[in-house]
Amino acid sequence: MSRLSWIKKALEVGVVTRKYPFEHAEVPEGSRGLPEFDSSKCIGCSACANVCTPDAIRVVDDLNEGVRRVEYFVGRCIFCGRCAEVCPVSAIRITKEFELAYKDEVRFIIELKLVKCSNCGKPFTTTRHLNHVLGKVGEGLPELMTLCPDCRRKSTVNSFITPVGGTV
Amino acid sequence: MSVYRRSIWVFHLNTGSCNACDIEILDVLTPYHDVERFGIKLVASPRHADALLLTGPITKESLPKVIDALLAVPEPKLVIAIGSCTCGGGIWYDTYSTLGGLNELYRVLKEEYGIPEPPTVKVPGCPPRPEAIIYGVALALGIVKQKYSTTKVRVE
Repeated sequence: MSRLSWIKKALEVGVVTRKYPFEHAEVPEGSRGLPEFDSSKCIGCSACANVCTPDAIRVVDDLNEGVRRVEYFVGRCIFCGRCAEVCPVSAIRITKEFELAYKDEVRFIIELKLVKCSNCGKPFTTTRHLNHVLGKVGEGLPELMTLCPDCRRKSTVNSFITPVGGTV
Repeated sequence: MSVYRRSIWVFHLNTGSCNACDIEILDVLTPYHDVERFGIKLVASPRHADALLLTGPITKESLPKVIDALLAVPEPKLVIAIGSCTCGGGIWYDTYSTLGGLNELYRVLKEEYGIPEPPTVKVPGCPPRPEAIIYGVALALGIVKQKYSTTKVRVE
């Protein structure tokens, strides 16, 4: 190929360089970016934290303040999208957002109120989680649902046992 | 970061990455994205560089080399962390053989060498898109502003 034909080819192709930070970038369909957390839907069940491979989502119970803290740290996320897959209420949506570079750490925190056990007073789940499960179970066991797992076990066992010659 | 308004030359250092981030860095240098329009150039020695481009979770084996390279970069220096591994440890954040991210490296630098934290731009992604790397560079140069900040929502 002579030099002239190279010039002809270059003219045919034209400029290929993208002007990116000065223009909008196209992102292909199905590209996974920043997960978006809908705090109005989240029930604090910690399913997302269970599947999160790098523990970018952490769920911690703050007993002093009586809240469950769902904390997402963008710097550790590998954007696998498993959290959105397992979320039972579709509170997490995978967006195409990729402009995530930061100088100051970025964390998204949702604080949900904990509900206390009606027997021992120990916080065991969030109000929203309890209401979600009550909605699934329907009528039947509402008095057991307000007990923490330990008290629930004791109460179930006590209901089977008939005391003979004393108390249990 | 007004000192970086002119061309920044970068030294690329792999600190135990899987090479995905390194391939994306090569993508950024191709004519399609062409990061040389910002005057950015890869150099072969940290002594010629203004910025250190780190990829990988900083394995314990690579730690002395990272510190050597960081000390060899003349002031004012800049660190650009590419990928989730470097930013926060990624899936290796608690692995026995890695430091687990840049924050831990800065802690070691401060405690062992008394070196303050250099200005850092972190680009999360696994690997980050070439555009995301360009966005990080533009953030370092002051062309764009940081898009997200920490939010805290309390619901009933």
